Amino acid sequence: MSEQLTLYLYKNSPYCEKIELALAEANVPYKAYQIDIWNKPEWFATNVNPVSGKVPVVTYGGPNVDPDDPSPLSAKVAESNVILEFLADVYPDSGLLPKDPVLRAKVRFFVNAATKHLEEPCYAFVQWREPYDNALKGIEFIQGLLEEDGDFAVGDHYTIADASISPLLARLKIVIETDIGKFPVGMGYKLGEELKGPKYAKFMKYVQRILERPSLKKTHDEESAIAFFKTIFTERAQ
Amino acid sequence: MSEQLTLYLYKIELALAEANAPYKACQVDLFNKPEWFATKVNPVGKVPVVTYGGPNVDPDDPSPLSVKIAESNVILEFLADLYPDSGLLPKDPVLRAKVRFFVNATNKHFEEPWCAFVYGREPYDNVLKGIEFIQGLLEEGRDFAVGDHYTIADACISPLLVRLKIVTETDLGKFPVGMGNQLGEELKGPKYAKFVKYVQRILERPSLKQTHDKESEITFLKTIFPERVR
Repeated sequence: MSEQLTLYLYKNSPYCEKIELALAEANVPYKAYQIDIWNKPEWFATNVNPVSGKVPVVTYGGPNVDPDDPSPLSAKVAESNVILEFLADVYPDSGLLPKDPVLRAKVRFFVNAATKHLEEPCYAFVQWREPYDNALKGIEFIQGLLEEDGDFAVGDHYTIADASISPLLARLKIVIETDIGKFPVGMGYKLGEELKGPKYAKFMKYVQRILERPSLKKTHDEESAIAFFKTIFTERAQ
Repeated sequence: MSEQLTLYLYKIELALAEANAPYKACQVDLFNKPEWFATKVNPVGKVPVVTYGGPNVDPDDPSPLSVKIAESNVILEFLADLYPDSGLLPKDPVLRAKVRFFVNATNKHFEEPWCAFVYGREPYDNVLKGIEFIQGLLEEGRDFAVGDHYTIADACISPLLVRLKIVTETDLGKFPVGMGNQLGEELKGPKYAKFVKYVQRILERPSLKQTHDKESEITFLKTIFPERVR
């Protein structure tokens, strides 16, 4: 079964990166098409994602056309977490989701926790809507879900849980190493210092292993992410 | 038990009823949680939680051998996995994605603005926008949110629809007096006809009538919003 799969993405989007990682780890052939979200082509909103006009979106099936000439016959799937589940359904032997219902629930709980307890407070800190206390609480919560010395978030295979949290971890690394963000100067470094403590050792080990994966190194362009952050965080809080 | 929490619990009861899945229910008084709940069932202390497997014990004597699953949307997916022929999720990947997109849209575009409105944090404008968004996903004249079977999409949105009906009829909430009724009036317009038809069909389902007790729900809302009771 080899239906065409095309991913429409914006290179600096962590939501798009989740999908790229899942596809890379599942070894799925696909076409990628960059969308400039500040200057979207008209056909994108009308023919690919009429519901919200956003990326990431995948088209699946239908005739094998060029990405800039999408067919009405392909299925269109939007929303990063919906796409991750879709890929797990379409590639059931990829390991993106385990077969066992209880392990599947663990993976989904992890994805839910990563979004609710980690993603939201981290972005809130970087945008200086709050200090990093909730981000640290979230890190502790996620850490509580990790198995000791496991390579992966859940079980013994890369799943959508790892794909879903990786782009955030890659950006967390940037923030604590470069101090780029809207927060007062030095807060990023300070968060990094806190994370070096023994309290967060299990989490940081998992972060290290995730960031070493070839799929992430191939997908995540740190230079470009840093440059992008610098353009969006031009003002600093005092 | 807060207003929001009852919404999450209710989704699960509906899905179980529609899937015809046998289960034991155990009411937990969140204002007065039994000690065994946090230690043996859900260390985070929240409901809903399902326990699965292990020996057949009384719900107030949970076994360490059962698996514990929390988070309402995770539980819905778990039930769909356990009962693959229940129709809670279709078999086709593209339809499954449509169901999940609907669930995601319900949480993001409807539930959030709804809670903000009911607790008096925002006017109902975003609720109406959310309803329009959801309406755009519904198919004309169909009984269900996605496809031709009851899915977790219907289970997920139903409790909100029940609450929407009650609040617009009784005006119970923290918003300024009359705003609940006013929202109800707006929804009578032709702009929301497709949505309102779907709401009507959902509220007529036996599974809903079986699990939902309107009187006790109104009483519950009156205790949450006592300043509204005259």
